[in-house]
Amino acid sequence: MANVLEQLLNALALAGLLFLVSAGLSLVFGILRVVNFAHGVFYMLGAYLGFTTVALSGWFWPALLVVPPVVGAIGALLESSTLRFIYRRPPIYQLLLTFGLALILEESIRVLYGPTAKGVDPPPLLQGAIDLGGVLYPRYRLFLVVLGCTVGVAVWLFLRKTRAGLVIRAVAQNSEMADCLGADVVRVRTLVFGAACALAGLGGVAAAPMTTAYLGMGIGVIVDAFVVVVIGGLGSIGGSMAGSLIVGAAQTWGAFYLPETAMVIMYAVMGAILVFRAWGLFGEEE
Amino acid sequence: MIPSRLWALAALVALAVVPWVLARHQLSLLTDLLIAGLFAMSLDLIMGYTGMVSFGHAAYFGLGAYASALVLLHFAQPVPVALLAGALLAGAVAVPVGWFSTRATGIYFAMLTLAFAQFLYTVAYKWRDLTGGSDGIAGVPKTALFWGGPSLTSPHAFYFVVATCAVVRSPFGRALQAIRENERRFTSLGRDPRPFKLVVFVIAAAFAGLAGALFAPFRGFASPEVMFWVFSGQGLMMVIMGGIGTLVGPILGAMLFILIQEVLSSYTEHWMIFTGVVFVLIVIFLPGGLVGTARRLGARA
Repeated sequence: MANVLEQLLNALALAGLLFLVSAGLSLVFGILRVVNFAHGVFYMLGAYLGFTTVALSGWFWPALLVVPPVVGAIGALLESSTLRFIYRRPPIYQLLLTFGLALILEESIRVLYGPTAKGVDPPPLLQGAIDLGGVLYPRYRLFLVVLGCTVGVAVWLFLRKTRAGLVIRAVAQNSEMADCLGADVVRVRTLVFGAACALAGLGGVAAAPMTTAYLGMGIGVIVDAFVVVVIGGLGSIGGSMAGSLIVGAAQTWGAFYLPETAMVIMYAVMGAILVFRAWGLFGEEE
Repeated sequence: MIPSRLWALAALVALAVVPWVLARHQLSLLTDLLIAGLFAMSLDLIMGYTGMVSFGHAAYFGLGAYASALVLLHFAQPVPVALLAGALLAGAVAVPVGWFSTRATGIYFAMLTLAFAQFLYTVAYKWRDLTGGSDGIAGVPKTALFWGGPSLTSPHAFYFVVATCAVVRSPFGRALQAIRENERRFTSLGRDPRPFKLVVFVIAAAFAGLAGALFAPFRGFASPEVMFWVFSGQGLMMVIMGGIGTLVGPILGAMLFILIQEVLSSYTEHWMIFTGVVFVLIVIFLPGGLVGTARRLGARA
């Protein structure tokens, strides 16, 4: 019983991180019709900038606040200087362009930080374990569960209940019509791209105390996030949530019961879902 | 305008004299280039002829490399046996992957192929007993080209690579055209194009496996590195740089890519940044690649 609770929390903590990354990926696809291959690198950038901020300030909490806007600004800058010019092309060009951006960013981080992983200490408040009715559970992971849920609810409320969210949904549904009705589509795209990168950056800062900041964490997370959005359906925030939970669960229980073949479980689940719904659980057929 | 047959003849003559005039280092660079070109061409097959973009093509190159390395290491067979093993293994693995992936289209297809490729990469990385894990398989012997023939270390080996490329090239285009025509006919009759996409996917994977199977003995190793997503992306870069759907383009693209890599890596170890910049510029400003741009300029002149 104790094990079940621990595994469940592990799955939720992982799902929280996956959601922070896949929500942005999905959002960018919904609004810009671009699959951002560089999205994982923004997650990695968040982790490294988090390391720098913690090293400079000696505190963890400022990093959580400062890094996401910085990553978001870098993302928005890259969107408006490259991607903006090729929206009319077939989707593959945008994917390839972001692949080029991913290479540039990944190598730049290697140049700046060197090849060794950078560890980040969690804040004192979240160090150690907490007693949950007989189960000692790391506080930091519990924090990830809370963070994932909070951001999930916040994004959902923002899209559903605010005027800006309404405009974003309008652009997602029909960008030409939204343009005619006076929405500044170019600006919406840049802001959404930046916001998505900021979410990925937040995910990176949050992940750093658990996984350290290391080269290659970007591709690791982007492949998982791809699986999440393939399961959940591109462009759907609800799909990202459902997909994150499924992948988080598959990886956690897979690693626990079948450590050698944990990866296979995730792909088996994805394959099974695709056989029945080729566009994901919440996706719409193209 | 020079007829294309004449071009082909000139290329053939050039390739024939190459082993005698080039230094050893240059020859091995040219061999790398042909192998990369073969890989890019096989990728262009999927992209140019079905319009789908595989983001996991390196996995099949890697499968070919491993199969070839293992056959050469453990069974001491001549190279053609290893090539066949590489192509067969890659093609066989591509059947289930293709079956799943071709259910989706567009971006979903790209993501699925990437996910499966990372899965295969992980398998190669973790299955230490068979693949040597992260070290890979080193010391692949440079065995005979044929039973009793010259070994891979002789300059004649270069002809073998050229011959393989030529064999791949000739029935290649025609078979593909047939598939493309048939797909149109099929869809216009209201039938499912998926089986054709699957066939193209498997053929392309087998040719990528063939390229990988050549790579292992020439370079003397097979490692997870060649299955990594970066290499899949580099293959796509070669195709885009050369021109999608042109078959000659990817070879030119591979040439350009490897030359950029050669030149830049002599100045800086972080050449990837500059390759990325060049690539971004090409995607934005030359969407047709070298061949597409040349054709457009030719049409304007």
